[in-house]
Amino acid sequence: MSQLTKTIVAWVLLIGLFLGVQPLSDALARERLIRGYARPTQVTKILQYDAPAMTGVIVGAMLGGFREVAASMLWMRTHSMWHSGEGTQWDALYLMRMTTLLDPHWLEPWRITAWHCAYNLYVETDDPAEKARMLQLGVDVLKEGISWNPDRYDLYFELGWTYFDKIRDYDEAARWLGAAIRFEHPEYVERLIAHGYERLPDIPMALQWYDYCLKRRPSDETAKGATITIRERYLPAWRLMEERRFDEAIAAVDQYLTNNPQSTIGLHLKAHIYEQAGQFAKAREQWQLAADTSALNHHARYKVSELSERMGLPVPEDATYLFKQQQEEMAIFRPVD
Amino acid sequence: MRPIFRVAKATFHEGWRRRFLNGILIFAILIIGSSWVFTYLQPGAELKMLIDVGLGSIRFFGMLIAVFLGTRLIPDEIEKRTIYTLLSKPVTRMQFLLGKFLGGLATVISNVALMGITFYIVFAIKAPQFAVPSAEGAPQYSMEFMYANVAKAILLSFFELAVVMGIAVVASVVFSWILAAIFTFFVYFVGQMSDFFGHLADPDAGASPVARVLLGAIYRILPHFDVFDVRESILTDIPVVWPYMAQTMGVAVVYIGIVLALGYLFFNQREV
Repeated sequence: MSQLTKTIVAWVLLIGLFLGVQPLSDALARERLIRGYARPTQVTKILQYDAPAMTGVIVGAMLGGFREVAASMLWMRTHSMWHSGEGTQWDALYLMRMTTLLDPHWLEPWRITAWHCAYNLYVETDDPAEKARMLQLGVDVLKEGISWNPDRYDLYFELGWTYFDKIRDYDEAARWLGAAIRFEHPEYVERLIAHGYERLPDIPMALQWYDYCLKRRPSDETAKGATITIRERYLPAWRLMEERRFDEAIAAVDQYLTNNPQSTIGLHLKAHIYEQAGQFAKAREQWQLAADTSALNHHARYKVSELSERMGLPVPEDATYLFKQQQEEMAIFRPVD
Repeated sequence: MRPIFRVAKATFHEGWRRRFLNGILIFAILIIGSSWVFTYLQPGAELKMLIDVGLGSIRFFGMLIAVFLGTRLIPDEIEKRTIYTLLSKPVTRMQFLLGKFLGGLATVISNVALMGITFYIVFAIKAPQFAVPSAEGAPQYSMEFMYANVAKAILLSFFELAVVMGIAVVASVVFSWILAAIFTFFVYFVGQMSDFFGHLADPDAGASPVARVLLGAIYRILPHFDVFDVRESILTDIPVVWPYMAQTMGVAVVYIGIVLALGYLFFNQREV
């Protein structure tokens, strides 16, 4: 074979192989996503030109197998920043985010980053809109963490707990805690769901969940006690409300509230009955009373804002209310399957 | 075939005599052998850390060996002028190139095999201790799947390193060895991120037309090294299936064909 022929054969081979490998490579990239060998999350972040995500991906690719060691080192640095005191909260967030990008299967950074946003950075500002943004950030961090670790209990619980304890959105809390109990879990998680429904209030659902707790563990004294309390104190009023005998329902709650005027569940139930009766002014007044009795009762504050808007009154600026409005707007723009 | 085999055999022996490569190998085996020590850095995620550090080290140190060996194979023959003796015998340039590549590859594979065996021993001893119970009471990670997946991940590393080796050998024909090493490192790191370049080149990503063309070209031309990384599936307990393995190995073989054809074209025109 002459030199020229060999060169021509080499070029033909080169071009042929190059063209042939393209569909193969594309098919492989698709296959990786379908089979779960790769996750597209970071790409989404890059498309939003998230600077830490960009750096995380590049550094991650360069470090190869040592990403996890680098993540651990970053995490230690985060700890030292944390202990160095105030003024490092935002810097710590950047490092936390980098850690989650470098090692997305390590659960602790996801949990702590979300907590840092929803609890620590939340109190760093007095602006309700900024507070709502921090809540959103905390929730987003946990949801992204779940997308990386859908088969682990921890982040489902953490998100449920954030909704329960910080945002006081008991419906969402029940949804995520319900997802958490598909895995091995401590017994209090089911009681937490029941307790959320008590505060909402949705008395039949609360009873249903306490009943579930007792069926799983008949010796559960807490669930037993809670069932007795609900049946004695709140169920009669709830039944009367369902029969639309609102005055009698209010009287039934008042019987209990006379002894315990600051009872959260009692106040919530009374406000809920007023709402069902269409007496929004009185309902708002009750929710306000509940909000005043506890600085952490964000659910009551949210209800005050919601009812104010419905009644055409000036809406008090509340972080939880703004956060939930954001959620609703996002739901509107969510593509329909 | 015989000249190719002879060149490959000589290259293999020569490869094992290179002290700096032996040094990298010993260091890698030490790191892999003690990979379980790093697990204390992530309490509760020990198994994940063990797999990541172990398999990551195999890929990283294997890549270092492939680059430093591949970029020195031909330039050393030219520097020492032994290439004249070889090419004056009935050994064509193609046979010489193939022999060098295959000999270098055999060295890399034997190195990676040693690292792989070390990791497998550490994994077999330590992994059952780190397994976390799941909801159903069964281990979170099914060990049978994991043993198979780890072996498959190491096998894919062989093919990945074969492509790296091919690029290193060909780059050393065109550039000085140091420039060839830098070029190969660059191709490897960018190839690890090919998926991101592919997405950024998408019209929906909002990049400028010039950037899109550039990113698209990088995505199309460079090998996609990220497809050889299946650590994600090991961590999430998803079995790495054979059709995927075959497809990935097939792509590697095609890329080796491309780089060797390129190497032949460059080497043929080069004055030695």
